[in-house]
Amino acid sequence: MATATMALPNAPLRYTAPIEAELDYLVASFATMPGLAVYPARWLAIQLLEGDETLLAEAEQLAGPALTEALEASMARLQPHYGDELDVALVDQRYRFVHALAGKSLTRPAVPPLTLSDRIDQVVTHRWLGIPIFLMLMWLVFTLTTEVAGPFVDWVDDVIAGPLSGWATALLSLVGLGETWVEGLVVDGMLAGMGGVLVFVPVLLSLYFALALLEDSGYMARAAFVMDRLMHSLGLHGKSFLPMIVGFGCTVPAIYATRTLDSQRDRILTGLLVPFMSCGARLPVYVLIAAIFFPAQAGMVIFGLYVTGIVVAIGSGMLLRQTVFRGQPAAPFVLELPPYRLPTPRGVWNQMWERTAAFVRKAWTIILGTSVVVWLLLAIPVRGEGSFADAPLEDSAFATLAGGVTPIFAPLGFGSWETSGALMTGFVAKEVVVATLIQTYAVDEEEEAHEATSFGEDVLGIVGGFLAATGDALLAIPGIIGFDLAGDEEEEATPSGLRGAIERGFAASSGGHSALAALAFLVFVLLYTPCMVAVAAARHEFGPRWMWFSIVGQFVIAWLGALIVFQGGKLLGL
Amino acid sequence: MSDCILALAGNPNVGKSTIFNALTGMRQHIGNWPGKTVERKEGHVQVSGRTMTLVDLPGTYSLAARSLEEQIARDFIVRSQPKAVINVLDAANLERNLYLTAQLLETGARLILVLNMADVATSRGLVLNPHALSDELGCPAITMAASKGQGLAELRAALQGL
Repeated sequence: MATATMALPNAPLRYTAPIEAELDYLVASFATMPGLAVYPARWLAIQLLEGDETLLAEAEQLAGPALTEALEASMARLQPHYGDELDVALVDQRYRFVHALAGKSLTRPAVPPLTLSDRIDQVVTHRWLGIPIFLMLMWLVFTLTTEVAGPFVDWVDDVIAGPLSGWATALLSLVGLGETWVEGLVVDGMLAGMGGVLVFVPVLLSLYFALALLEDSGYMARAAFVMDRLMHSLGLHGKSFLPMIVGFGCTVPAIYATRTLDSQRDRILTGLLVPFMSCGARLPVYVLIAAIFFPAQAGMVIFGLYVTGIVVAIGSGMLLRQTVFRGQPAAPFVLELPPYRLPTPRGVWNQMWERTAAFVRKAWTIILGTSVVVWLLLAIPVRGEGSFADAPLEDSAFATLAGGVTPIFAPLGFGSWETSGALMTGFVAKEVVVATLIQTYAVDEEEEAHEATSFGEDVLGIVGGFLAATGDALLAIPGIIGFDLAGDEEEEATPSGLRGAIERGFAASSGGHSALAALAFLVFVLLYTPCMVAVAAARHEFGPRWMWFSIVGQFVIAWLGALIVFQGGKLLGL
Repeated sequence: MSDCILALAGNPNVGKSTIFNALTGMRQHIGNWPGKTVERKEGHVQVSGRTMTLVDLPGTYSLAARSLEEQIARDFIVRSQPKAVINVLDAANLERNLYLTAQLLETGARLILVLNMADVATSRGLVLNPHALSDELGCPAITMAASKGQGLAELRAALQGL
């Protein structure tokens, strides 16, 4: 590639004579105002003539009324030349300069070729096909994510529940702590909580892989463009959908991405809607609950939740526009569509890796910490006659604490202390919901007769399991498009310990409508506060008032949403 | 430690972060997505024994401070007065990208123009003449295809001359 070297000293563009005269006058005046030395003088003069109010306010602070007088004098002298359109004249002259410059440095082909990018866009951003294509791609992503990741989830689960727990127990026995409360803390508190979350690493890897492909290829910008037409007809700003799409990965960067919006009100409005977009951390909860209650339609349920999130976001946006954010017309949406590019393996890998690494980091910091606290609260009996770490869980401090809020959730079908407790800890992070569910529904698996295996056998088992999982995952891919190579092996009919305990729990709290209650629970998880970090981001960007508005608003909407699902479903006789 | 500050500026989604990563060896999140970099990020570039601080600014179409990201970019260029501003342009959309260049010139900043995605421009039948640009504006102009690593050596050479 070529480098052209310097020939002339900087020759900036020159404006028409009357403007240049005033620029010289202003630059000379600025020289007498010491406060303004922080700005390049000619640039400041141009900006002020162009009517930059933010900068004018800043400069007036520094230089005082002398600046205002000089500027007004200049403006008055230019008035006869340009009327009230001095700003337009400046921009226009800059464009002329740019046009001439481009003419000298670029030769265009006589007939611009219709690129492949343009041709793809004719279909993908089509007036009628655009939204169905977007929904179809999303459906593919979530089906792929759950189907392909499924076998790996089982594998990780086996490793954590089997060899890892076995090694931890053996290690603790070696140092004389076997069969004590320390073993309980490590195996039932730390390993169960953190492990229960780490199980979902393969799911998130697949999700982030798919999102990376869609983003890097340039499709995601099209999705925003496609949704813009819908959002605009609802009176919302189309640009808001960009941060919302970022929210599919994680709510926190999505809140920061609202900085791309022009007005503070649009930013706050979008910041309030972004949390409804289902982030990666919520996926483990969906996968766990959907696998238990809707094993055959898990992909469909999860896809439905994502769409529900978008619909609620758009609905809330309309509502806020007509109430809190009344009276601001939506500005026209200009979005540059990046050309389609073939995603590079390195780019995709980096994204996958960074996001998954963040998830794993969270597992051994926030989630581990919360799991330990939950374990302690579960171990302390406040009723009955049990002693520390040796009492029925219903008598624990955690159950009593969580029991206090169960009446709130009772009308939604999941008013048990276990689910209430999981939703409470879920304020910290959504993965914690899974960890807490596993801890509270912990069933004494009657010492599942972990056969004494040697370290070598364990390692062989882990590797073998991984290979089998890879095979299963590959077989699952054709299943997504209708072929089922794996043969319809029904999932083992006898529910395993955790599965059975959660099923019984939901059945008891919902009066037998456990599937409805599970769905309502998922809707609640989808819609309430995503996590502490997102709350902190909202506070940082929009201030404490909006942070509280967001927390309370999301809670109310989540509660109403879950109520509609549960009570509505019951009315329909489901 | 670092003997000067450089800034990377340009329209959204022209490859600033790719160039930033290539120069600094860092792995900042890159996306085919306008508006990925909403906060400025810093890294260090080693050029023949010297350490320069490179600041990746959010992509903007102009230096008018309408949105927060435009303000971040503008305040940095105007207030911190970096030694040079590496202005990355999408060679396939040169004219629109040059508007920001015109505004950058007005700040008096020393510019290094990088006509990125030259490969895409070529595939669309566009013929670039970087010499004309550098003659007109009095600053180096480098054609580049950052995703393929082409042109990076020339950029490093231009940095050496600072």
